[in-house]
Amino acid sequence: MTNYIPIGIIGISHKTAPVEIRDKVVLTEEDQFRVLKEYREKVDADGLLAITTCNRTEIYISGENFHDNLDQIRILLNQLKKCSYFTDEKLTYKHIGFDAVTHFFRLISGMDSQIIGEPQITGQVKEAYCRAFELKATDTIINKMFEYGLHAEKIIRTDTYLSDGAVSVSFAGVELARQIFSDFNNKTALLIGAGETVELAARHFIDKGIQNIRIANRTASRAQELAKKLNGQAFAFTHLEEAFNNVDIIISATASDAYIITKEILKPICESRNYRPLFMIDLAMPRDIDPEVETLDGVYLYNLDHLNNIVALNLEKRKNELPKAEKIINESLEDFRKWNASHSMGAVIGRLKKHFENLRDDEFKRLKNKLPDNGKAEIEYLTQSIINKLIHQHIKTLKKSASNPERYQEQVDFLFDLYDIDKD
Amino acid sequence: MKLFSVILSYLLPFFYIGLIYVYYLVFTGKYKSLTSKTTVFLIITALIHLAEIVTRQLVLGTMPLSTMHDAFSFLAFSILVVYLIIEISLNNKASGFFVLSFAFLLELISSFNLSWEKETNALLTNFYFTIHASMSIMGYTALSLSAIYALMYIYQNRNLKLKRIGRLSSQFPALTYLEKMSIRSVVIGIILLGLGIFHGHIQANRTFGTYYPIDIKVIVSDLIWLFYLAGYVLSRIMRWRGKWMAWLSVSGFAFLMIIGVMVMLFAESFHRFY
Repeated sequence: MTNYIPIGIIGISHKTAPVEIRDKVVLTEEDQFRVLKEYREKVDADGLLAITTCNRTEIYISGENFHDNLDQIRILLNQLKKCSYFTDEKLTYKHIGFDAVTHFFRLISGMDSQIIGEPQITGQVKEAYCRAFELKATDTIINKMFEYGLHAEKIIRTDTYLSDGAVSVSFAGVELARQIFSDFNNKTALLIGAGETVELAARHFIDKGIQNIRIANRTASRAQELAKKLNGQAFAFTHLEEAFNNVDIIISATASDAYIITKEILKPICESRNYRPLFMIDLAMPRDIDPEVETLDGVYLYNLDHLNNIVALNLEKRKNELPKAEKIINESLEDFRKWNASHSMGAVIGRLKKHFENLRDDEFKRLKNKLPDNGKAEIEYLTQSIINKLIHQHIKTLKKSASNPERYQEQVDFLFDLYDIDKD
Repeated sequence: MKLFSVILSYLLPFFYIGLIYVYYLVFTGKYKSLTSKTTVFLIITALIHLAEIVTRQLVLGTMPLSTMHDAFSFLAFSILVVYLIIEISLNNKASGFFVLSFAFLLELISSFNLSWEKETNALLTNFYFTIHASMSIMGYTALSLSAIYALMYIYQNRNLKLKRIGRLSSQFPALTYLEKMSIRSVVIGIILLGLGIFHGHIQANRTFGTYYPIDIKVIVSDLIWLFYLAGYVLSRIMRWRGKWMAWLSVSGFAFLMIIGVMVMLFAESFHRFY
């Protein structure tokens, strides 16, 4: 099985460059269009894929001259972003051949992300691929690499816990609340404070289905502002106890240096609500909620330390899943290697050549004694020429369909059927 | 046919053990890929168990409910089927390990008491007995499920209060779900057991000429049913909920088990089948 595959990648990511540099090399939509269309033609690459996120900018190039093309694209990117980062060996990384494919598989599965297993990267890679595909910038190798990579990502997502569990404090609150309430649809949340922390946490709850939001803040205008943003209801801080009525979730993050909610305040409220579960998150430092409230039945209070512990635990859990994910990547890589050995453009052309050569040899052997001695060299040259012409025509057709994976596969199948070549 | 049924009877506990192991792996999160396959294992085990019950009925010629083997086997089967419905309708697999462990214990007791004596007692071979016994067993199934959900509620409530947050506790269903399931199971149990007892009294009248024969087992069954009914009505009036309701369900089931075992072992009753 051949280990050669004409593909390479250069990139800058959180592993090699600080955020100040990563910010400067982000490719805008216009930049991506330029790279995929103009630069691909300029360097004459068979395929090109540009992936750009807040944590990385990567360019994949496929085709026989990919080594030279990678060097050329570095210079073009430097010109485009008016910097010298892309040619700086310390800030960039480069993978070639199957190392590039392995890197892509790990990338699309979230294994190369700053937060292991984060799912957004899959969507970002899909988006980048679709853009390149629409601009006809991809070839068979990039198409197949994407297909196999996405398949590996799906298996990793369903068979491992690599993307499971909250890895941010605000989302950890939602995860905990789900252990108390089976659904959030008819639940009411009260936000105490109107800062960014509270807003972020509230948005996670809204995403999960919470519809009734109340906001209480010392500065009434800020409470009203946030209420408008979240489609909630603002309460004056002096009417806090009124806001407690029928609340299921309380998220608090104020700058108060004394407890805002104490056991004395909460006890009659719990009694009146017949000790229905009340989930409370205290995101303030110093704390807003007296820990004593937890002695009340039905009250579940979590502070920043608890939430941080959950995040640490989930990150650890994700790290422990890495060996399983690596195994899946290796299996998918092996499948891709098999595909490359039998169906990549180079492999198909090689097999066609071999088939015609065999035909020619057989015919020569059969007619060996009937051919005149003085014309043998000319006949050999003539038949070789015919074979080359025939193969050249097939190569042209295959290259035409290289950007469309389905058409390419149809062409390959057709050729294999036509010449009775084993498809495996 | 008999040999086939005997083989199935002895094999069933192994199927249950296999099933529990699958749910254990799902619960501990060792094999995430198994999560989507549990229902298939559950259906296979339920079908094998059903085959065992049907073949016994064909061989014995009566609905197999009157022996210890049959009663416990039917109880385990009922738990399996009820759990299957819950799993499919609510798509939560976390309680499977606990519910099915209980079903396995019942199936194990059943396998150790395998007998092939054909039931000749007219009291136990008529149609009313089948309704009475099957309703009662399903009623007890619902009550035992309620206790399992209540126990899970108590455990999870404790975890959440003590901030014991790990993979195991995060696999548990939400507290409100456990509470709802426990209460719903009690209501189903009260209705089914009530129907079972009602048919029992009708049968008593047909056999003994009185709706209420003075018998310890009849009295205790009626008392258990009344205890559950009163507990449920009281909880609605007093608006008990959460851990108190869970403890009520667990203690009710413990009371049921203790009284049931004592009556079976020490009391003389016409209501003795084995």
